[in-house]
Amino acid sequence: MRSVYKVVENRRESEWTQTIFFDKEIESTPGQFMMVWLPRLGEKPFTLSYPNAVTVKKAGAFTEKLAALEPGDEIGLRGPLGQGYPALKRPALIGGGVGIAELRLLALASEAPCFVLGGRTADEILYYEEFRELGPVHVATEDGSLGHKGLVTELLPVEAESYAVCGPERMMAACLPKLPAERTYFAIERYMKCAVGLCGQCTCSGWRVCTDGPIFPASSVAQMADFGKRRRSKSGRWEKV
Amino acid sequence: MIPLPDIHPPLINASGILSYPEVFTAFESAGACLGGYVTKSVGPREKPGNDNPVVVYPPEGAVLNSLALPTQSAEDWERDLEEIKLKNAKLIVSVYGGDSKEFAQVTRRMSRFSDAIEVNLGCPNKEPGEQTIMESIGQDPALSAEVIERVRGETDKPVIAKLSPNSDYLAVADSCLSAGADALGCGNTLGPGLAVDIQSRAAILAGTTGGISGPALKPINLRMTYESYARFRCPIVAYGGIETWEDAVEYILAGACVLGIGTAFMRKNTHEAAALTRDIWEGIQEYLGDEPMSALIGGAHRPANGGGSHA
Repeated sequence: MRSVYKVVENRRESEWTQTIFFDKEIESTPGQFMMVWLPRLGEKPFTLSYPNAVTVKKAGAFTEKLAALEPGDEIGLRGPLGQGYPALKRPALIGGGVGIAELRLLALASEAPCFVLGGRTADEILYYEEFRELGPVHVATEDGSLGHKGLVTELLPVEAESYAVCGPERMMAACLPKLPAERTYFAIERYMKCAVGLCGQCTCSGWRVCTDGPIFPASSVAQMADFGKRRRSKSGRWEKV
Repeated sequence: MIPLPDIHPPLINASGILSYPEVFTAFESAGACLGGYVTKSVGPREKPGNDNPVVVYPPEGAVLNSLALPTQSAEDWERDLEEIKLKNAKLIVSVYGGDSKEFAQVTRRMSRFSDAIEVNLGCPNKEPGEQTIMESIGQDPALSAEVIERVRGETDKPVIAKLSPNSDYLAVADSCLSAGADALGCGNTLGPGLAVDIQSRAAILAGTTGGISGPALKPINLRMTYESYARFRCPIVAYGGIETWEDAVEYILAGACVLGIGTAFMRKNTHEAAALTRDIWEGIQEYLGDEPMSALIGGAHRPANGGGSHA
């Protein structure tokens, strides 16, 4: 069901990223998503970064408006939707860019996590100090402003009992061959319309990301010919990932 | 009349649900009991459809959608359908156009991929400012006949005329069958309807209104099936709120020979959705017992003293 909440805080995370807190906590499994609705503007999928917040990177008209919400403004939410992560033991949480936001609730729910995080600059490494209190944090930045200078994949493999990967699809595709097929999970993103398994818009090789995912085991992802390659745009036309 | 292909089991997805060939093959691999799959309605040129939200599902039992027929170009659909590898199931291509000439153009491209062509005679949604006959075609027997006649001229495959419940559908059906349709689709979404959010005081759907589907539509399309069968005794593909085998049997007794499933797939992953289709098909088979399904079609039309002894 869709409900409208009041924004209570808008917190700056980085130059491009804001966390929008609202006045109600939502119970979800880490990895599930919410359809965020701004009345008269649109609706897009986001994963909760706090039980009562989403973290948004400004990348277009909708996300600019969402990132600019002020206390008292309205935010509509539908969900939680989709399949989240299973319980993970001693996981390596591998995140790229704003994908790091999705890993926050998973980190809090996991036993003894470690982190492998990547971004263009240090500013993109969200929750760095908070994560350091939970476990070891390995960082790669493209400009070398924090940690290893280079890509997050260059930090792999790391020793862990399980793995969760959330980031740009090309980064995830580069991680796939470096991680075990068992106990590894990927968060796949597609353009969504209905978000409840009806319209088929969010297909990745025939799996509807909204209901079969968005979290998929690596063994399934390895079978998806479209993963890392192509996705359907709003009209259904294929576009490159 | 050209007979419908042997769709076995006689269950399909409704057009606009699942939509894409790679989703059909995933369903088939997961063991879904769908004897046929229907594409999203294919239009002549790329069109993104309405912005989100495009789906809303209060009140209970109704789903409103304002997708407004998004489509990739017919050329891109050709490439997609060349890729498809269905093992046993039949493929039905749903077509639409902004005028009857465009229906013909799309049919010409799609015919070679399809086991049947479903003609979408009306969609209650459109993009803001869009010029199209899709809103009104289903209410106009002469225009519907013109579309069917042009489609008929482009394909040797069976043609299903999918009727709108917002119409004098018997008059439309009559003109479609005279113009060369081989079967009726009973039917499309109803309405459009409206959903309003009382907190933000806004219409929820970005397209403001949306076609109504789901259990709320069932009694209406069941009546359309019943009346169409009574009048024409032609093959009928029925849709609207089929969630259980009992729903399916009701439609069969009203006159349907193929059943389309849509909103019942809501929130179900592929394995759950496949299991639902198996449950529906098993339920139908148990109900049939030793009778062939053909004995059941239109069973509700038997006179009170004319048999129909099923308990």
